[in-house]
Amino acid sequence: MGASGRYLVAVSRGLDAEALSEVRAIHGSGVHMVECEGLQAIVCDVDLDEFGEEPLRGNLENLAWVEEMARAHHAAVCAVDAVATTVPMRFATIYESDDRVAEQLRVLRDPLTEALDRVEGASEWSVKAYAAPEPPEPADRPRAESGVAYLAQRREAVEARRRRESDDEEALSAFHHELARLAVASRRLQLQDPRLSGRQEPMRMNAAYLVAHHAAERFSDCATTALTGRPDLRAEVDGPWPPYSFAALELS
Amino acid sequence: MTLETTARADAQISLVDLLDRLLGTGVVLVGDVVISLAGIDLVRVQLEALITSVRSELAPDPHGEAGSDGT
Amino acid sequence: MGREPSRLTQRLESDPESVQRDLMKLVLTLVELIRQLMEAQALRRVDEGDLSPGQVEDLGTALMRLEEAMADLRERFDLSPEDLNLDLGPLGTLVRREPW
Repeated sequence: MGASGRYLVAVSRGLDAEALSEVRAIHGSGVHMVECEGLQAIVCDVDLDEFGEEPLRGNLENLAWVEEMARAHHAAVCAVDAVATTVPMRFATIYESDDRVAEQLRVLRDPLTEALDRVEGASEWSVKAYAAPEPPEPADRPRAESGVAYLAQRREAVEARRRRESDDEEALSAFHHELARLAVASRRLQLQDPRLSGRQEPMRMNAAYLVAHHAAERFSDCATTALTGRPDLRAEVDGPWPPYSFAALELS
Repeated sequence: MTLETTARADAQISLVDLLDRLLGTGVVLVGDVVISLAGIDLVRVQLEALITSVRSELAPDPHGEAGSDGT
Repeated sequence: MGREPSRLTQRLESDPESVQRDLMKLVLTLVELIRQLMEAQALRRVDEGDLSPGQVEDLGTALMRLEEAMADLRERFDLSPEDLNLDLGPLGTLVRREPW
């Protein structure tokens, strides 16, 4: 058992310490608060043999390990987010001690306060759009009569695909703007690797929206219905989640 | 004050969504494949390097015939 | 944490029974990628207009034969086009469309 570090789960404010008694984080450990400048860092103890810089690099290549820790982190963030305005931290934000955590709160007081103000009273919603899978080449397509004819076939297939994609993108751009109007903030995210998402259909849109609680129902209705007129696109709506995508600190 | 775990806090999140957010940069499998046999890692194939070199072979040569090797 | 994408290595676990098919799948995935790159390049060269009609015809015929050969190989190892979908990260977008 090596030296102990502090895993920073989230930063909150206005949280009652008693509310943390049931919260579990990494390896089922409890969490405690480090308070400074009116901010509350939610931390749990971790073993630096596992979370120190060197071992961490190795562990990050192990998807099973990452999954276990990420889910524990998420459970703790959700528990805290349920009772107080919370800025979730990135995975494996480690400090040597409570004092170092307090120091960070002091140094980052302004950007953290700004982030808390930004996410207060709102949650993150995820909206993705998938395209219907490409129709497969018909197995009994007649063999092209010549090399030139074959190239023409290929070119037509490429161009048809581009036209379809261009139409889809126009529709998705309009969709995104409509949703952004109902949100406090929005972000486009990278499309996801199908091997991780397990989806066959191509992903065409992956966006996160910060939506005030009072607007959540209207947002969710809009997100689920706005694409119904387009049979080749399907929207998938998830949330509400803690505001992971809107927790970035503006460091000036 | 007791902690209420509301429905909101339990909204399901897929692993890929969670990792994208917690790891912050979007998780990408970078085409690195390890081939193992009987539980023993044998070969590591860095597909990125392989494909990059193939791709530059295929790029049209703006100055002359593709594939000329100057010998 | 920097801006590099996280690298999650994947393992192609093979047992002696399926090793031939697994290796073939990897090989064919690469060959298929190259084939698609070649088709895209060929269309670009044809568009550039510096090929003679004979060259265009030869190129088209060669690509057509290559596609047929790929289909044959896939069938022989009982692999569907979806099986050959090993994502190659940023280079994979050469043959798929750009993210939004």
